[in-house]
Amino acid sequence: MIIQSLAFYLFAGITVAAAVMVISARNPVHSVLFLILAFFNSAGLFVLLGAEFLAMILVVVYVGAVAVLFMFVVMMLDIGVAELREGFLQYLPLGGIVGLILLLELGFVVAGFVISPEVSERFSAPAPADIPNTEAIGQLLYTKYVYFFQAAGMILLVAMIGAIVLTHRSREGVKKQRIGQQVDRRPEETLEIKKVQTGSGI
Amino acid sequence: MPETAFPNLIPALPEIFLAVAAMLLLMIGVFSREELAARTAGYGSVIVLIVAIVFVGLVAEGRVLTFGGAFVTDPFAVFVKVMTLIAAAAAILMSRSYLEDHKINRFEFPVLVLLAALGMLMMVSANDLIALYLGLELQSLALYVIASFQRDSTRSAEAGLKYFVLGAVASGLLLYGMTLVYGFSGTTNFDVLEKLFADSNAGAPVGVIVGVVFIIAGLAFKISAVPFHMWTPDVYEGAPTPVTALLAVAPKIAAMGLFIRVMTGPFGDLSGQWQQIIIFISIASMVLGAFAAINQKNIKRLMAYSSIGHMGYALIGLAVAGQTGSPAVQSDGLHGMLVYLAIYMVMNLGTFACILLMKKDGRMMEDINDLAGLSKTNPALAAVLTIFMFSMAGIPPLAGFLGKLYVFQSAIQAELFGLAIIGVLASVVGAFYYLRIVKVMYFDQPEDGLDGPISFEMKSILGVMGVVILLFIFLPGPLLSGAEAASAALLPG
Amino acid sequence: MYTAAVFLPLIGSFIAGILTFAGGVANEKTKKKIDRGSQLATVGAMLLAAVAATFAFIDIVVHANTGNVELFTWVSSGTLEFSWALRGDTLALVMLLMVTWISSMIHIYSIGYMSHDKSIPRFMAYLSLFTFFMLMLVTSNNLVQLFFGWEGVGLASYLLIGFWYEKQSACAAAIKAFVVNRVGDFGFVLGIFATFVLFDSISFDTIFGLAEDKSQATMSVFGGDFHALTVICLMLFVGAMGKSAQLGLHTWLPDAMEGPTPVSALIHAATMVTAGVFMVARLSPLFEYSDTALTVVTVVGGSTAIFAATVGCVQNDIKRVIAYSTCSQLGYMFFALGVSAYSAGVFHLVTHAFFKALLFLGAGSVIHAMSDEQDMRNMGGLWRLIPVTYVLMWIGSLALAGVWPFSGFYSKDTILESAWGAGTEVGYYAFWMGIGAAFLTAFYSWRLLIMTFHGESRADEVTLAHVHESPKVMILPLIFLAMGALFVGFLTFDFFVGQHTKSFWGNSLLILDSHPALENAHQSPLWVILLPSVAGVSGITLAYLMYMLAPDLPAALASGFQRTYRFLLNKWYFDELYDRIFVRPCFLLGHGFWKSGDGALIDGVGPDGVASAVRDIARRASALQSGFLYHYAFAMLLGVAALITWFLVARG
Repeated sequence: MIIQSLAFYLFAGITVAAAVMVISARNPVHSVLFLILAFFNSAGLFVLLGAEFLAMILVVVYVGAVAVLFMFVVMMLDIGVAELREGFLQYLPLGGIVGLILLLELGFVVAGFVISPEVSERFSAPAPADIPNTEAIGQLLYTKYVYFFQAAGMILLVAMIGAIVLTHRSREGVKKQRIGQQVDRRPEETLEIKKVQTGSGI
Repeated sequence: MPETAFPNLIPALPEIFLAVAAMLLLMIGVFSREELAARTAGYGSVIVLIVAIVFVGLVAEGRVLTFGGAFVTDPFAVFVKVMTLIAAAAAILMSRSYLEDHKINRFEFPVLVLLAALGMLMMVSANDLIALYLGLELQSLALYVIASFQRDSTRSAEAGLKYFVLGAVASGLLLYGMTLVYGFSGTTNFDVLEKLFADSNAGAPVGVIVGVVFIIAGLAFKISAVPFHMWTPDVYEGAPTPVTALLAVAPKIAAMGLFIRVMTGPFGDLSGQWQQIIIFISIASMVLGAFAAINQKNIKRLMAYSSIGHMGYALIGLAVAGQTGSPAVQSDGLHGMLVYLAIYMVMNLGTFACILLMKKDGRMMEDINDLAGLSKTNPALAAVLTIFMFSMAGIPPLAGFLGKLYVFQSAIQAELFGLAIIGVLASVVGAFYYLRIVKVMYFDQPEDGLDGPISFEMKSILGVMGVVILLFIFLPGPLLSGAEAASAALLPG
Repeated sequence: MYTAAVFLPLIGSFIAGILTFAGGVANEKTKKKIDRGSQLATVGAMLLAAVAATFAFIDIVVHANTGNVELFTWVSSGTLEFSWALRGDTLALVMLLMVTWISSMIHIYSIGYMSHDKSIPRFMAYLSLFTFFMLMLVTSNNLVQLFFGWEGVGLASYLLIGFWYEKQSACAAAIKAFVVNRVGDFGFVLGIFATFVLFDSISFDTIFGLAEDKSQATMSVFGGDFHALTVICLMLFVGAMGKSAQLGLHTWLPDAMEGPTPVSALIHAATMVTAGVFMVARLSPLFEYSDTALTVVTVVGGSTAIFAATVGCVQNDIKRVIAYSTCSQLGYMFFALGVSAYSAGVFHLVTHAFFKALLFLGAGSVIHAMSDEQDMRNMGGLWRLIPVTYVLMWIGSLALAGVWPFSGFYSKDTILESAWGAGTEVGYYAFWMGIGAAFLTAFYSWRLLIMTFHGESRADEVTLAHVHESPKVMILPLIFLAMGALFVGFLTFDFFVGQHTKSFWGNSLLILDSHPALENAHQSPLWVILLPSVAGVSGITLAYLMYMLAPDLPAALASGFQRTYRFLLNKWYFDELYDRIFVRPCFLLGHGFWKSGDGALIDGVGPDGVASAVRDIARRASALQSGFLYHYAFAMLLGVAALITWFLVARG
């Protein structure tokens, strides 16, 4: 238990610290790197919960794909960090006060956190012991939560369409390979056979 | 082993149909020529929405749960869904000529509207916090995209981006609230939550209440209620006008439906806690909507404030529904609110149809002064717009007046006198800018007339909406009984 | 028949009214046709109504059939219940007959007189509408319907006086007529209320039936108890004073001459102004029980008679002279009523209607001939140029002056004899006032005749060249009226006031035995009978002396008695007095309320103040919208924080 607790606080602490660094780092590349750090630690938290599949997915998708994509974008766009930070200090006191108040209140709320017996009962949907974690998630996802799963799918579809709609342009004058055309091409269209008299040139 | 019973799909038929049809149209669009695709998707999507309305009507029978209790259909859902779908269909109908004029007539637009409509239906039918969130996100995401659909225009892009970022903040608030509720109650299902709060004598833990406050904030963003309204004017102004027409109506109605369901359903027994917040939001929205619109010169911006105000009036109904003690009064509140929303939809669609006709030499006009002398250059359009403006201002005997009457009456019955009085005062102030538009049309000197002729679609939308507003007082029966059934479905007893 | 007589003018008016709108868009040629059509419709309807009225008169008065017509229920509210109904008795029928025929003549005359006007259909519509209201008034069977007709003629009078609304003075006169009448109407309305309080009904049948029972009743007014019928009658009489231009409320009548001349003839001579006389006669069953009220009526009538006659002597506008003469003659009628000689009053009303209409229309004919010149100082020597009009004016003037055997002689003498015969102090007062007025009447009538038709012409060449006799369409009605002025008095004397008077009036007039003025009148001493004629003839002689033989004398008198002359010329300074007492203080008060009350206080704090506050708030509210994303996001967070804080704090 002690080790688990220690591990939890370690992962959780690093996650929070990394999250803070994400928004406070001066260099956007550093921000992305801290983000990756936060992801890794979150994955650690999943492992502690016994959800190793989720941990794997988190690492693969977020670290492997998303974060790297972020990195590319950030490096290509050359965002002027200084400009973004303008006004940060100006609003710091007010924003800080509001944030502090909110934090205190939430702390007060959490302090009143009492887990009543019924509630903990509802929480406990323990992973079945006889099948692997991955399979259990799959079974739950495609039966009980199929609606949510499909809905999420629709959201992703929209995201995809959106990305294409907003960024894709069919540019004129871009040379592309059109295999169909190449295959369909007949000799008569491209070749002209000329009889050449020897010695006279064309 | 988890249960493997196949879920009952019938209640979700409209949603499933909409999803499949959207994907089908997407496929058709991808694999056909651009113009043809746009046209097919445009008319196809309207047909799909109409069929979806039919399906909604077909599956309407009592209260049915499915997908493990995460999805619900009841008369309330049917009522709100029908309104939402009508609004979406009208928005697509209105969009055609605008999109053509701006060379953005692409098949993705109607498909995205369909997907947004799907999200709205899911919101309305949500019976689980997760379902709520997913529906909301689906809807929002599609709307973010079409808000910046005119991607070559900086304003449109800016509108989409602002909407997106602020929407994300709102989603964050919503999610945070949901986790708090889940953390303190251990469930996301509405029915279970309702039972939990009804049983516990000691009242809900503080954490749940704070969670509810966060949820209210997130939802208030979607209906653009003060103080979560800031995005509205900028986005309305920047987005392409048909999108604004859509934004002003369909998502508002769906989000209101969701709001009503969440507040009266799972958190119904906590109404003593949230009623004050709703009253505050309602008053703030009515007052800000009335005052801030006065200085506006851009008619789309003006409509943004107008819709903020209207949401404030509609929220009066929700505040009344939070008045514990008398189920009859609560039901009256919801009833008034639903009627108000329906009338709001009709007025707004009509008004936006008029705005979409504000074209001079092929360019869209958005300044109120461009309407100068419309009564001389196009008397019919001026008359119709006047009807809508009078109705929005709440002048009897037009429908807008009756809508206001119902909500104010319910507020008085619930003895929320302050709310009713401020509502009346705000509508007096609000009448100023509606009447100013009428004044500009009728008393200012005309410049060049607007472009004609008006297309058949526009004519029919204007005609239908105008007639509904004018004649509602003679035939309020169907709407009233529908709203009656819908509000009865939500309240026990 | 009866109903048709009342409603035909309304139909005519409707048709002409619709044609008015059609005329607005028509071109020159169709406009002529529309004018013609409207004239035909209204004149036709009017003549038909007159014929119908004649038949109704024969049916109801001569054959003594019952004539009440119930149209439909108007108001039924608690004990207040009354209908639209026509009362068929002699008084109503006499009025009906008189109004329809005179109005018909004036309609016909208007065709000629208004021929150059550009809105003929409107004029004809107003004229017919007026006639309808007047008929409604005289045929009503309850006080409210009477009031309906009363207000209706007020409205029509307003419209007609202001017919030439481009003229500033016409508008002012129209407003003046309306406002002054409002003062009277206020009294009338209070009278109606009081009647309802006392009798619990406003239907004539009921209140006349109950009048005797209630003759001793008292009513509390301003804390004091007064004789109820006196209160009612005095209130109603205030209304009559307004409508009939009696001393105090007479100021509107001369100004009303701004309207076209046929209007002056119809409304301000023959019919509307007699409404007050009619009303008092109609309510004789009430007035009879209040000696006080009768006394007041007598004194007011006598005073008006002499007052108006004095003013009439110095006026130079031909129509104003006749207007003051009307005022004065109404005074005669009132003091006849005041001494309970109701029939004599109504008799004079009828004869006066004929000769006064004749005089007005004749004056109109003169004005028409003189190209709208109304000032007698610019006339003179016209008798050769317009002989027919000249003769007709003579007839009218003779009738007005009460010279035998013209109509005016019979009625005026009966009135004066009745006043003498009443045997009361006020009766004698009225008698002597009447004699004086008779003298003055004759004087100013001949002054008018001489100034207009005799002596050297004072008109300019251009006008003189255009002088012409009026067309037949104008002359024929004049001849008809002249016939009336000649013969009506002689022919109807026996019925109205002579030996058949009891059977003729039936029970439409009530005279108590304690008021035997009319009986006594027939046994007057010889000097009483002769005195009016003597006064009249001496008046004529004086006028002849002053204006014919010594034309410089009037001017010399005027400058010699500067003060008296000015006093009379300015109509006893009534207008100035009212201007000082009522109009200016009202304006000052209104101005004060407007500037300081409404403008500064109510507008400043109310609409304007609120409006500017709203604008201010609006500016601030829209200034919140900075356009910066982080402002918006911050606002949202602020909102959440505020809500949660509020919630936690409120919850404790």
